[in-house]
Order: sequence, then structure tokens, then C-alpha cells
Amino acid sequence: MPKFEEYKKKLKEAARNPQISLALSRAIKSYRKNVEEALKKFPHTLELAEEVRKVKEKSIPRMEELVQQACEAIQENRGKAFIAHTPQEALEIIDGIVGSGKLIVKGKSLTGEEIDLREHLENRGNEVYETDLGEYIIQLLGSKPMHILAPAVHVTKEEVATLLSQASGEEVPPDIKTEVAKAREILRDKFFRADIGMSGANVVAANTGTLFQIENEGNIRLCGSAPPIHIVLVGMEKVVPTIEDAFKTIEVTWRFAGYSVPSYVNLVSGPSKTGDIEKVTTYGAHGPKELTVIFLDAGRSQLAKDLEFREALYCLRCGGCLYECPLFAVTAGHFGDKYFGGIGALWTAFITGNLAEASPLIYSCLTCGRCKIRCPVKIDSPRMCVDLRKRIVMEEGW
Amino acid sequence: MSKRGERSVPPGLLLFKDNILYKNNLFGISSKSKWARELSIPVGGETIFFAGCGYQFLDEAKATLSLVLALDRRDLPWEKTLWVTKTLNHLGVNSGELYTKLVSHSHLSGEPLRCASIVLQRIGVKFGSLFEEEPCCAAPLYYIGFQEEFANKAIATHKILQAKGVKKVITMVPSCTFALKNLFPIFVKGWRVEVHHFLEVVCEGIKRGVKFRLPNKVKVTYHDPCFMSRLLGLIEEPRHILRSVEGVEFVEVEYAKGEWSTCCGGGGGFEVIFPEVSHILAMNRVKELLETGASVIVTSCPGCLIQLSEGVKKLKAPEVEVIDMAQLLWRALPEE
Repeated sequence: MPKFEEYKKKLKEAARNPQISLALSRAIKSYRKNVEEALKKFPHTLELAEEVRKVKEKSIPRMEELVQQACEAIQENRGKAFIAHTPQEALEIIDGIVGSGKLIVKGKSLTGEEIDLREHLENRGNEVYETDLGEYIIQLLGSKPMHILAPAVHVTKEEVATLLSQASGEEVPPDIKTEVAKAREILRDKFFRADIGMSGANVVAANTGTLFQIENEGNIRLCGSAPPIHIVLVGMEKVVPTIEDAFKTIEVTWRFAGYSVPSYVNLVSGPSKTGDIEKVTTYGAHGPKELTVIFLDAGRSQLAKDLEFREALYCLRCGGCLYECPLFAVTAGHFGDKYFGGIGALWTAFITGNLAEASPLIYSCLTCGRCKIRCPVKIDSPRMCVDLRKRIVMEEGW
Repeated sequence: MSKRGERSVPPGLLLFKDNILYKNNLFGISSKSKWARELSIPVGGETIFFAGCGYQFLDEAKATLSLVLALDRRDLPWEKTLWVTKTLNHLGVNSGELYTKLVSHSHLSGEPLRCASIVLQRIGVKFGSLFEEEPCCAAPLYYIGFQEEFANKAIATHKILQAKGVKKVITMVPSCTFALKNLFPIFVKGWRVEVHHFLEVVCEGIKRGVKFRLPNKVKVTYHDPCFMSRLLGLIEEPRHILRSVEGVEFVEVEYAKGEWSTCCGGGGGFEVIFPEVSHILAMNRVKELLETGASVIVTSCPGCLIQLSEGVKKLKAPEVEVIDMAQLLWRALPEE
């Protein structure tokens, strides 16, 4: 079956599934309520978002230079830093550190998803645990995430109970509190037995080499502090010039993700160290002895030079647009590949796939434009989808 | 990047493209301007009423879409029927027209246009029409990806309007409005035609003191077409109109209104790529609108009109009526 036909069939099946619509309608309702409250409480956010758009407008054209600067800063902080030009290169760097037969705990990372990191590590004989609850559910389910922030947005508590019962060998009732406690119990000792912790980053400050990580569960700080080695995989577009820019960007990101303030924001600039004995700096105090940061290019530097579409790299991954997309509301991550919705269609075209692969997604965008209204940095995905159709028509020689 | 030989442009959209290029209208129908029969509208003039395609062929579009939807719901290869349609088109037979005659008893085609032109006349607006010679705005070409073809069409349209001495157009279809107002200036050198949407003109009339009054009190809600609210910024105009019509109790959707309005599911040709999904989206939108308790859903786009009335049908809410703003205003015209 041709790709477009196969996709259409899948999209239709998803839209027919009442579970998806039900789970999504609940999620959309609470997202809108949360974000409205958060914006009411911190009304400066809208102005700050305009500033962040400007930060992105100046960062993306000089992304490669800024990433270079960030790498140098991280190295000065005694961390290791690499630029991986392709997913393959990123996996090779990771393999060089991890090897096989290790226990690995992972924080949720879309960039990891982008290069199929977990599957790769498992295939090389490692035991890998997703520690974000939603992502852990997806891992147990053996499926793919359906929302960038809430990967299990389409799964009900009844289904979660079944999955956790299978994982623990004990009967877990469909009660959310009990389910959360059970997941904590299962994952707790993994953090402390793990050889390696892995995570991503929401923003990177080039001048200090600081990685900013937003989280609520506390799993990312455990991944980044309990195991002796910490590996961070981050997309190149996340870099901004200064730590002040990073603070602005991170606040706008979490606010549009629907939080007044998240429980945790981790700032990581280097490995754990102490100078408490005779002022001799020694690495690996309570936290990891080694920190490796891998910046993933995979099409980003190319896209940054494409004036018509570079705006797609401004995306903060707050996920707000997805809650406003009428098609996403009935199909979840089926309207997408690694990244979802209209912006995901664009990312599929330029980053994770190619134009032919992206075209069913590009023609799925209603171009209704509500995503742009929600977007804190006003990314015009519908405009880009329409312009990309022009490229499809040209390249296919219609 | 993709290679030559790959074919990603959906067939439904290609049919639109052919119709615009070879038949000068979206639906490939042979005779335009039936809507204007029995109306005394002058030919041409400096200000013309730009009818567009969507409203002229509501029944045909509805019939075709419901056929396509019925097939898609049964997982039948409905896109094949599009090729039949195309072949028949080339032979001069329009299957939409034919199908409408055979199975549809609706006489909606052109109705909002008739209402709008009567309303405009009654509020003292002077305008003419190009009737059969009205060019197609060709906007769908732009959205499908045929931007070069769109540019050529736009230039040709400009020439026609120039030759007819048209200085100002009053538009009805939101996507035509956007094309003429925002796209033509980019693609056509020397484009200076003024573009006003019907709702803007009516608003002006109300400011001049024109009054509208419905014979009975009704609860009305408004569905913002995406083009109207998010692209043209025409959010206040319909609300101002509805609030000023006597007999209308105007009720709004709680969140999804104005710039936050939910798409009816017919955006960007989506309904001819994913008919069943599009229908589901229409239903979702109707559910939001029904929460207001309104018995009349008013909108101002032929696409939305079809989508929402299909949604209402599916939700089995026969007491709820979906009409165009022009129809509502026509009903609310004062006695002469």
C-alpha cells in the first residue's frame, strides 16, 4: 500500500477510536485551564514571550557558532561535549561511553526519541528504563509517545493498571494514586543501581555551557545525579547566547506548557565536584563523575539557513499548539511521526525524514491557524505547510 | 528530498486544480451565475459583488461530499470516483450537478448570495455583477501547492477586472476575500482593487442607521470561519451585526470563539483528502456550538455551512438550523 494510503487508514482508525478523543478532550480542557491560570498569575509572560521570539530570531541564524561556544564552555567546566552531525554519529558517541550490558535510567527526551535511542541501547544488550511516568507507560505498552509532553495522553487509568500489574506481577487497581506509588516503587532502585543516567535539555546557555531542564516528577534530577555517568542529548536549536536569555526562554517554555512554575528546574553545567579536602578539586562527589553533552544536528544547521522555513527551529516544545489542533484532538500522535501536529509535519520534512515522507502530514494540516495563536513564539506552521506544498509540487515535477 | 515520479498531491485536491484551470470554478460546473436570476443586478460597474464558487454550488458540493463520505466510511476506494468525475467533466457532464438532480432535494445553491445581494440593495449599496464572466479567485491552487498557476490566474483575473473597470469588490467567500485582499497584492503588480467583505459593508450600513429585525425571537450563536477570524481579523463585525439585529439573542461558545474558534474540519481541502475524519471534526465543532443552547448556528463561509450542517445531521439535532449570516439578515429585513 502506498505510504499516503497507509497513513490515511491509520489516521481514520485513530479518529474512529473514542478512547483517544476522550483522553484528549480531558487533557485539552485541563491544559487550557492551567495555562489560563498560569498566565493570569504571571501576566508578564506574554511580553516575555515576545522577547523570547527575538532571542530565537537572533540565535538560530548563528546556531552553529553558539553551539561551538557552548561546547567550549562545557569543556571548560570539565564536561565533554560533542556535535553529532547525524543520528548515527550520536549513537556512536553514546555507544563509546555505554558499551553493553549496562543498566540505564532515562529521562524523557524527544531528541532521544528522534534517534530511537532506547531501542538502540536495548538492541546492544543494555537494560533501559524510561523514568518519566508517561514514557514508562509507553515503554510498557510497547508503543510510541502520542504527545511531546504527555506521551501517554491517550491512555486511560484502567489501561495503566493492567500494564503496571503485568510489570510488577501484583494486582494494581485502576486508582491513579496507587498507580503512581507503584511506578515509584518499581523505578526507585533502578536509579541507584544504574550505571548511566540519560536526559535531554530544554534550553542551553552558550556563554556558560549551562543546560536547563524543566521537570515535575523529579526523575530527571535522579537520572542526572544518582548514576556515576550522565549523558545529555540535546538538539542544536536549543542554544541561546546567554544565561539571561536562557532564563527567559525556560520560563516561557514551562508557562506555555501549562505550569505556573514547575516543581524543578535543573541547571547542569559540568560534572559533580568538590574541593572540600585541602582545596583539591576532585570530580564525582555525590553526583556523576562524568558529564557528556551531545548536540544533535541532523538537518538543523541546514534548516537554519533556509530563510523560508527556519522559523520551525524556534519551537520551544511547550506542546501548547497540539492542544489547539482540531485534528490532534481526535488522532493524537497519529498526526505526526517523531514530532506531532503542523510543526511536527515540518520537522518530519527537514529533520527526521524527508519531504516525500512528510507530505501526507503536510497535506493533513487544516491550515486553520489556531496553533499559531497559542504558540508563545508565534511560529506560523500553517504558512510553512502551504509553502512546503509548493516545494512538493515543484520537486515531484507536477 | 522527494524525487520525480513520487505522487503526493492528493487526488481530491487535483480535481479542484483541474476544475479551476479548465472550468474557471472549483467544482467544474458549466454554468455560473444561476443565483442571480430574477434579481435586478446591473452588469459590471465600478463596484461589483464577487459571488465566488462556494455559495453558488452548495448543493452540488454537498452532494459530492456526502457521496465521498459514504464511500470513505465504508472504507471503499472513494478517490477512484474522483477520476470518474474528472472524465465526465471532460465530456461536459458534471457528476455533482447530475447527482444533485437525482438524489438531492435541497435548493441551497446560491441562496446566501441571493439574500446578500437583496440585503445590500436594501441598505442602499450600489453594485453590479460580472455574472458568467466573473473570474475564479483560484485561491485553492495556492493552498494545494500550485503557486505558479495561482499567480498566472491572479494576473489574468486582474486583467479582466481592469478591462471591466472594476475598482471595488464586495466579497462573500472568506477564502476569496483573503486571496483578493492579501495574496493578490503579492502576486499581481499594480493590484489596486479595494476588497470589502459583505459583513464589513453591512456593519457600515448599521452604523448609518439601518435596522434589522426578526419576526420571532431566536437564540443564535456564531461560528467564526478560520479565514474570517484568524486571517482577516473580522471578529467584531459579525458580533456587532448579531447584537444589533432585533429578535436575536446572541450566545457565544465559552472558549472556542473569535481567534480561538475551532475549525469546522473543512480547512485547506481537508474534506476531500480525509472525508470521514473531516466529518468527525465537524461533529466536534457542532458539539461545542450546541453547548450554547442556540437553535440557530450562523456562519459566513460556504465550506463551514456544509460541514456544520452535516455535523448537525449526524448529531441528530434537527431542531438546530445552520444558516449563513446573509440568510439571517434577509429574514430580518424591515418591511418595505
